[in-house]
Parts: sequence; C-alpha cells; structure tokens
Amino acid sequence: MTDRPDTDGSPFDDLPGDLMIWVLIVSELLVFGAGLAAFLGVRLTDPAGFAAAQDHLHRAAAGVNTVVLVTSGWLAALGAQAVETGRLARARGLLAAAAGMGAVFLAIKWAEYAGKAAQGIGVETHPFFTFYYLVTGFHAAHVAAGIVVLLLVAARAQTREVEAGVAFWHMVDLVWVLVFPVIYLLR
Amino acid sequence: MAHVTKAWALLLALSGASTVLSVAVARGALSGGEVTLGGAAILALAWAKARTILNAYLRLDEAPAFRRGFGLTLALYALLLLALYLAG
Repeated sequence: MTDRPDTDGSPFDDLPGDLMIWVLIVSELLVFGAGLAAFLGVRLTDPAGFAAAQDHLHRAAAGVNTVVLVTSGWLAALGAQAVETGRLARARGLLAAAAGMGAVFLAIKWAEYAGKAAQGIGVETHPFFTFYYLVTGFHAAHVAAGIVVLLLVAARAQTREVEAGVAFWHMVDLVWVLVFPVIYLLR
Repeated sequence: MAHVTKAWALLLALSGASTVLSVAVARGALSGGEVTLGGAAILALAWAKARTILNAYLRLDEAPAFRRGFGLTLALYALLLLALYLAG
C-alpha cells in the first residue's frame, strides 16, 4: 500500500479556494437568505404598508450602489488573477481600487441613512424599516469588513490570502444583488 | 475579453434591466398583473445576477459539481422568494 496525501480524492478538491472560506460564504448566505425570506413573509401581513414605506427609499442611489459593487467585484477578480500570475503591483492597485469602490458604496449608504434620519425614519417607524436597517446595516458592516480585508491582502499580496479575501468580497457582492431587488424594487 | 470582464458586463446589463423595470413600476407604466409580472422578472434577474457571481467571480465554473449544487439551491431559494412575493 502506498501513502497518499490527505486531500487525494476529496470531493472538495475541485472547489476553488479554501474550504473554510466556502463554509463562511454559505453561512453568510444562509443568514441573509433567512432575513430576506422573513422580510417577504412579514410583508404578507401588510403589503400596502410595505409598499408605502418602500416609497421612502432612494431606488436610483441603490441602483448606483449595485453598479459600484459589481464593478468593485470585477476589479477584485482581476486583482486575484494578477497576483496568481505574479503581477504584484497590478494586483495591489486593482485590490486597492476595489476597496475604494467599497468606500464609495458605504458613502452612498451613509447618505441614504442620513436622508432617512432627516425624515424621522428609524428602526421602529414600520416593520419594513426594521428589516431595512437590519439587513442593509448588517450588509454594510460586511462591506466595511471587506474593505479592511482587501487592503490587508493587497499589502501582503500572497496568492492564497488574496484568493480568500476576494472570495469574501464576492460574497458581499452576491448578497447585495439579492438584497437590492427584494428590499428596494419589489412592489 | 476575459471571463470575469464578460461577467461584469452581463451584471451591469442585468442591473440596468432591473432598474428599468422598477422605474416603470414606480412611474405607473405597469398596472395590475403587469406589476406582478414585473416583480417576478426582477426576481428572475436577481437570480441570474447571483448565478453569474457564483459561476464567474467565485469561479464555480471550474467545479461543475459544485456549480450544479449551488445552482439548484439558488434556484429553489429564488422560487421560495417568488412564492412569498406572489402570495403578497
């Protein structure tokens, strides 16, 4: 009998990146997925109230934020490709640009929250806004964490670290493309 | 054009389509059952965007078995959201 590496034949060998980052991604998707399903479930109790509350949201700003985040994801993906091919300066630049786009997302989100606060809209104004602040606030916290992660992995420019950091950033992107239509667009 | 760049262009196009649909609903261009159809289309576009991010950005295209597994789970979840939306 010959010795074989521990990973030989594992079904997870085909998974791009570390298994643990996928565990994190799936965990986060479950949390946000449950939140969005609960939002639509509670909406059944007061569709008119939810529609009226949704009219206070700035759909165009959220649409711009979608473009900002998917563009940031694209830059991060290009950054990961660059570090794999040893182009470290290009990788650092792309990852920093991706982080910068994340900061733009947060700035627009901050302006959105400030606008709500100016209208006297808070967490307890309506169940719609309870979910709105919880889901988008939790997502914004992930964006902030992702910016820090991107900047850290950009500084070190190690392939495995960049791959994991960029995968986290794509998870943030993935969550947003589900949050945006459910919270902001569905009537 | 690189795979991720094509994915980015597709994501921009899908996001644009979502925005056009939602603006049409908000401005009253759609009414009655059309609004519901528009909502269902917006959910379908979100599902397409999520698939694109999983397959191209997160590189599940390189792992067909995982792509199918995530794809099926995502499709079932999108159907759950659609059912909750249509029930409202």
